Amino acid sequence: MSLHTRTRNKPRRHGKAMVAGLFAASVGLLTTAGVYAALSGVATGSEAVASGTLNLTLSADVGAGFSNFVGKMAPGDTDNVYVNLNNTGTLASAAGMTLWVAGTPANALTNGTAPGEGLTVTATQCSVAWTLATGVCSGTTTPILATAQISTMNTSGTAVSLSNVPSLAASTGQVAHVQVSLGLVGTETSTNGVAPTPTIQGLSTTLAYTFTEQQRTGIATNQ
Amino acid sequence: MGTNYLRCNAGRTAAAAAVLLLAGVMVLVTPLSAGAANHKGIAVGSEAVVSGTWKATAATTSMTFTTNTFQTSMITNTGTIALSAISYKVTISNPASGTPTFKVFACAVAWVSNLCSGGAGTQAGATLAKNTTTTVSSTVVPAVAGNVYLQIEPASVTSSVTVTLGTSIAAPAQLRAAVKTNQ
Repeated sequence: MSLHTRTRNKPRRHGKAMVAGLFAASVGLLTTAGVYAALSGVATGSEAVASGTLNLTLSADVGAGFSNFVGKMAPGDTDNVYVNLNNTGTLASAAGMTLWVAGTPANALTNGTAPGEGLTVTATQCSVAWTLATGVCSGTTTPILATAQISTMNTSGTAVSLSNVPSLAASTGQVAHVQVSLGLVGTETSTNGVAPTPTIQGLSTTLAYTFTEQQRTGIATNQ
Repeated sequence: MGTNYLRCNAGRTAAAAAVLLLAGVMVLVTPLSAGAANHKGIAVGSEAVVSGTWKATAATTSMTFTTNTFQTSMITNTGTIALSAISYKVTISNPASGTPTFKVFACAVAWVSNLCSGGAGTQAGATLAKNTTTTVSSTVVPAVAGNVYLQIEPASVTSSVTVTLGTSIAAPAQLRAAVKTNQ
């Protein structure tokens, strides 16, 4: 019975010893910090700082915007969607913006495996909202991306620079009304009911358009 | 048994305390990295796309003629895109004797007694000679999943001669007119 009691108390003593050791180490660290503080001279000044935000939003201009579906596209077809790019942050963006388009899954529509064929994209800005029924801009149009094969801009590393994006580059709160035209180039011939290999026929993909703006250059202020 | 349990518990307590102490020290010594933002504004939109198909098959691809009897083949649009034209590759063998010629006629409905809705149908290409391979085109096209009917009309057949028929559809020239969609 007494032996049984000893075997219970021994571990408790070890645990207590460890906790005591840790407590002593903590006290030692705090004391050291206190001594350091006591030996320091402190002078305090203050200034208020607010950081800016850099936000780019994408929404439908007219119509469905990008939340659409293009079915059974044939070579020569064009599908136009109309989106607003809005600089909603508090910081102006640097002049210029980039766009890349990824296809998931990647296939001959987007990765160039069928040479000279595949999806293309063109972007045009309108000074006012586009007219959905006709696809006409009643204001002034500005080309911001000439027709380009998606296979040449399907990664962030191959993003293309958009040109003439004044309203987005200038300042915050600006909106660009952009028509994004999706086209399909196809020059292949099917023989005896069989498509060539590789082919752009009968494929499906979901395109992700990524627009990226850069922060304006930093400003050095002396005051 | 009870002793082992207690020892194990004490060890775990000590280990946990040590880990907590180490974590605290790590927090103190890790430099602040709040300024590591990438300074980019990014907006992403997506749309789903499906491409169509353009292809057609011939039900009968090889016909052997020993007389001047007409023969037919049904052409089916097995693609998903409407067509504006379709081409046929016609290969005529070299018979042992004679100088046969062939004409290809298309009809939107099945031939009845060699007539297309009571008429002659629409000829594709010109008259074809023996021992040749010729591609002829026709604007009589099958609708998607629909059919047209070819009739091969020989003349001057005196010995066995074979006509082989193939289809081809070239984009974009032989597809429906391009469509522009605003959505």
